[in-house]
Amino acid sequence: MSPQENTGNMSRRDELEALLPFYLNGTLDGADLAAVEDWLATDPGAMAALEEAEAEFSGTSAANDAIRPPADALSRFSRTLDAEAVPARASAGSALARLWSGFLAIPASFAWAAAAAAVALVLVQTAMGPGGRGGPVEIAGWGQPDLPFALVTFKPEARIADVAAFLSGQGATILSGPASGGVFKIGIPVETAADYDRIVGLIAAQPFADTVLTGRKPGDGG
Amino acid sequence: MVTMTAAPGQQSDRELVERVAKGDRAAVRLLFMRHHARVYRFVARQTGSETMADDIASEVFLELWRQAPAFEGRSEVSTWLLGIARFKALSALRKKKEVWIDDDAAAAVPDTADTPEVAVMKDDKATALRGMVNALPEEHRTVIDLAYYHAKSVAEIAEILSIPAATVKTRMFYARKKLGEALQAAGFERGWP
Repeated sequence: MSPQENTGNMSRRDELEALLPFYLNGTLDGADLAAVEDWLATDPGAMAALEEAEAEFSGTSAANDAIRPPADALSRFSRTLDAEAVPARASAGSALARLWSGFLAIPASFAWAAAAAAVALVLVQTAMGPGGRGGPVEIAGWGQPDLPFALVTFKPEARIADVAAFLSGQGATILSGPASGGVFKIGIPVETAADYDRIVGLIAAQPFADTVLTGRKPGDGG
Repeated sequence: MVTMTAAPGQQSDRELVERVAKGDRAAVRLLFMRHHARVYRFVARQTGSETMADDIASEVFLELWRQAPAFEGRSEVSTWLLGIARFKALSALRKKKEVWIDDDAAAAVPDTADTPEVAVMKDDKATALRGMVNALPEEHRTVIDLAYYHAKSVAEIAEILSIPAATVKTRMFYARKKLGEALQAAGFERGWP
């Protein structure tokens, strides 16, 4: 387990127990994999723990397999799909989509940071430009893991200038995104749940907002 | 990790997404056949409603049709689809006012599975565990489902749920702790916790 990760008051044994499902599903690697393998090789109780995880694996698989999708799902989906127009592809995307598509080409380790930094730049430009509020824009919450946030998707026609102007006016920032489904994580640097709810409500009311979901509120734990 | 490795002569998920990005509807149908059941089950477990799962799972693949050009392969296609499904499920629940996204309310999603007591009466540990997994709070059950059933890594679960990797581990810890306690309470031996 990486030193920078905060797993609270878990003991080493607890940490290894938490990793067992990932050992079983074959996704563990690096130091975590070595730690689990070493534990299994040296602790007589470890194999019993692995058997427990295998039983959980079976129970979870059975619970999921018991859910049967409708037999006609594909045919119904095909009819819907055939009725869909071919979406406008890259050359006809919104300004926001074009902006973000550029960041998607950045290596993964830098992409999200670059995206947020780019929005910061846009926010500064917006604030400093004609019609802006003037003065520097503070990128609140940058590097604060406990910052309150909401998850937002924007409408295809959303304009980056409108989004940037609105968020800067509220002290909010895009922390990361887009994740799957075009979801952006919006940092909301407020101290009370009431302020959080007010700003989330304002975001939801904007014409460029598609869906807004409440994320971490002030005072929430991880 | 579920990557739907392509058999010889079969196109990979990523190759199919590239075809979708060019407007190939047949490629969408192929991806639908590969992934729909798991997406459907994931949403059904999120929402507690197979009706909602039916609608949302189809929407996920329509979203794939619309957003394929934006997919750059930073994650597995299955992870990408589950992330879309998660967001759409939460959005749908929010609209229905059945649940709020915060953890306390999410834990209150109705569960229609056997109670642990009923499952235990079947005198089979795996069967009992099935009921116990179903009875977990949503935030814990989802992590268990994604690891054991969808074979996702810590990082992939973090991406799907938009939470830190450390939170994935702590949720897994508490989920397994609750399962252990439930097993013990039901009379099954367990070495941990």
